[in-house]
Amino acid sequence: MSFPDPITVFRTEAAELLEQVESGLLDLNVNLGDKEQVDAVFRGLHTLKGSGAMFGFEALAAFTHHCETAFDQVRKGIVPATHDLVTAVLGATDHMRALIEVPGGDHDAVSEMLLARLRTAVAAAGDPAAQVASQAPAKPQGTTYRLTFSLPMNAMANGNNPLGLIDELRDLGECTVSADRSTIPALDDLNPTDLYLSWTVDLTTDKGRSAIDDVFIFVMDEMQLTVEVMGETPASAQPVHVASAVPAPPAVPSSPAPAPEATAVARAAPPAADPKQAKSSENVRVPAERLDELMDRVGELVIAQSRLSQLAGVSGDLMLRAVSEDVERLSGELRDTMMVLRMVPVAQLFGRFRRLVHDLAIETGKTIELVTEGESTEVDKSVIERLADPLVHLVRNSCDHGLETGEERRAAGKPAAGKILLSARQQAGEVIITIKDDGRGINRDRVRAKAEASGLIAPNAVLSEQELLQLIFQPGFSTAQQVTNLSGRGVGMDVVKRTIDALRGTINVVSKTGEGSEISLAIPLTLAIIDGLLVRIGSGRYVIPLSAVEECLELSIDDDMRSRGRSFISLRDSLVPFIRLRELFRTGTTPDPFQKVVVISTGAERVGLVVDQIIGDHQTVIKGMSKLHHDVATFSGATILGDGGVALILDVAHLVAAGQQQEAQLRAAG
Amino acid sequence: MAFVDPDSLSVKFDGHLTLRTVSANHATLLQALSKNKSVSVDFDDDVQIDLSFLQLMESARIYANTAGRTISIAKPASGQLHDLLDRSGFLQTMSPKDARFWLHKGDNQ
Repeated sequence: MSFPDPITVFRTEAAELLEQVESGLLDLNVNLGDKEQVDAVFRGLHTLKGSGAMFGFEALAAFTHHCETAFDQVRKGIVPATHDLVTAVLGATDHMRALIEVPGGDHDAVSEMLLARLRTAVAAAGDPAAQVASQAPAKPQGTTYRLTFSLPMNAMANGNNPLGLIDELRDLGECTVSADRSTIPALDDLNPTDLYLSWTVDLTTDKGRSAIDDVFIFVMDEMQLTVEVMGETPASAQPVHVASAVPAPPAVPSSPAPAPEATAVARAAPPAADPKQAKSSENVRVPAERLDELMDRVGELVIAQSRLSQLAGVSGDLMLRAVSEDVERLSGELRDTMMVLRMVPVAQLFGRFRRLVHDLAIETGKTIELVTEGESTEVDKSVIERLADPLVHLVRNSCDHGLETGEERRAAGKPAAGKILLSARQQAGEVIITIKDDGRGINRDRVRAKAEASGLIAPNAVLSEQELLQLIFQPGFSTAQQVTNLSGRGVGMDVVKRTIDALRGTINVVSKTGEGSEISLAIPLTLAIIDGLLVRIGSGRYVIPLSAVEECLELSIDDDMRSRGRSFISLRDSLVPFIRLRELFRTGTTPDPFQKVVVISTGAERVGLVVDQIIGDHQTVIKGMSKLHHDVATFSGATILGDGGVALILDVAHLVAAGQQQEAQLRAAG
Repeated sequence: MAFVDPDSLSVKFDGHLTLRTVSANHATLLQALSKNKSVSVDFDDDVQIDLSFLQLMESARIYANTAGRTISIAKPASGQLHDLLDRSGFLQTMSPKDARFWLHKGDNQ
């Protein structure tokens, strides 16, 4: 059993904190008077500073301190929140990430530059002195607590800074701090790196007991803490000067005074009534690698179960069959549970685009509104991770090339602010992620001219609307007349295509001149295990993802003969092209007398796949293709069958596209 | 560090007064107090100071008191040292003796 490295844990938590801070800043940027967001940003910065110092990230703590101070002024009404201030702190959060990743790096110049920007923003926000004078002194309100605490003797040597805790308590409200020095020994008995001091703090706060517990959350297990409620101060009451009202008692760390009724000891279970505490106890943080390991084990179990089912099938032993069916059911349930564990909401993915669009708006000088929909849609975590880069490219492209400038939009009768919609929804076994803008749309003439000039298509080639628009995903293709630092090099869109292909997904582009563009990415919900339809073609077995299967038909010998040269079947008054996989794979075998057509689809496009036999459904543990076979477009992966054999997984998107191409050629040939 | 007078010694701590240096400073101070009747501790105004230094000085005061020695700081707490005394809650519980030692309010201990 290995325990996580505390520094790694800190980095993970700091990343989450920074995400929260960033999200709060972006919300604040929309509504600068949002006091709740101001408080949230302040708390986030404050916690980051405190925990950073605790884990030895001194440069981070020192840098964050300045941002925290700026927001403290905002919080206290000394300085108003401004867009410049928010932007300055947003820039600072990027630097905080660098300070976390490379704490020993040479960050001084960047730190100073960012802090200068922060100082300018704070100064521009108003005259602090004048505003301070106009502020009435804050009256402490809420409950007065007396906290007595001591840390373990090795606390300082382990990097814990008691002053950080005291500072955090001060941020909660009016504080009087008294140090107890009574246990410090004489110099000849002193171990100078040990901590002998303990403290009594009288704190008046309206933040509640849980906020106090939060201060000590990282050291709670090792420290002595008593919290005693001394009294309530109603909002209308005069402020109480705690220091004079309550004399500091002697605090003995090793044997704390008997706790009165309202006193809680740090080691005791937190009050059940505190929803925040209750919630935290219901969640467990698990490293992603462990989930991957577990998924691998489940995959192996599914393969073993498949083998067991096969053995039980050929055996006449009824008991064995019963056990096999139980194992099959259980492994199926385990697989489903595992899948749920791996699912995360796309909100995690969309969240980062708020910041991106904010920055792009500044860089391009455009007013851009980002709207997100379907953020609660859940997708496998590995899909989320791999979707990030393609979406960045698409959003950048929309901001940079799709949306017009404010003047251009006004001239076109549009609102000055451009709009980008980022949405997600589930459809069958796929998640559809759409990036839509209300910009100028894709210039088809320019796309065609560029494609012809670079030899991608023949001059005057007949292309469908979709084929023409898909050209923008070709390597090196860009119609941008100006290369900017955002986009225009034709690199990003190529990355989008490759990534989506690797995810077994498809891209659909819709664009109307002057009205905008919509790019939809259809991605399988999971990349680990899928339900598949196991089929036989010649002597080989193949898996068709079940989510793409619409229906199965029989292709009689007569129908087969009649369709030669046309390869269409009539399906409820519409012609559906089909592909004879036996011919495509050159099996060299004769067709079975009763071949089957498996109709598959991606969105509105359908194609039939002619197979010799449908074996049945199959839980398919997807294994990647080897490097040697990585470029084989017809297959998206492989799986191991119960008898140890290998079945290739058909790439539905590729086959549908091939079928549609075949249909277009046949139609063109008349 | 420079020893000036064997009877009334001034100990100058160079560098920061933090956990990293406290062990060396502890040894220096213990040696100085064991050999001299009066020790004055000096340090630069702009050095970093943390709790370990406050504990060291408090410990030295206890030792000096029991051993019949005198210890003082060369100048009253100001700047970072004063901030630290305030943040850590020393100022709130200061007796007149403490105030004389740390803030030079009256005679040194």
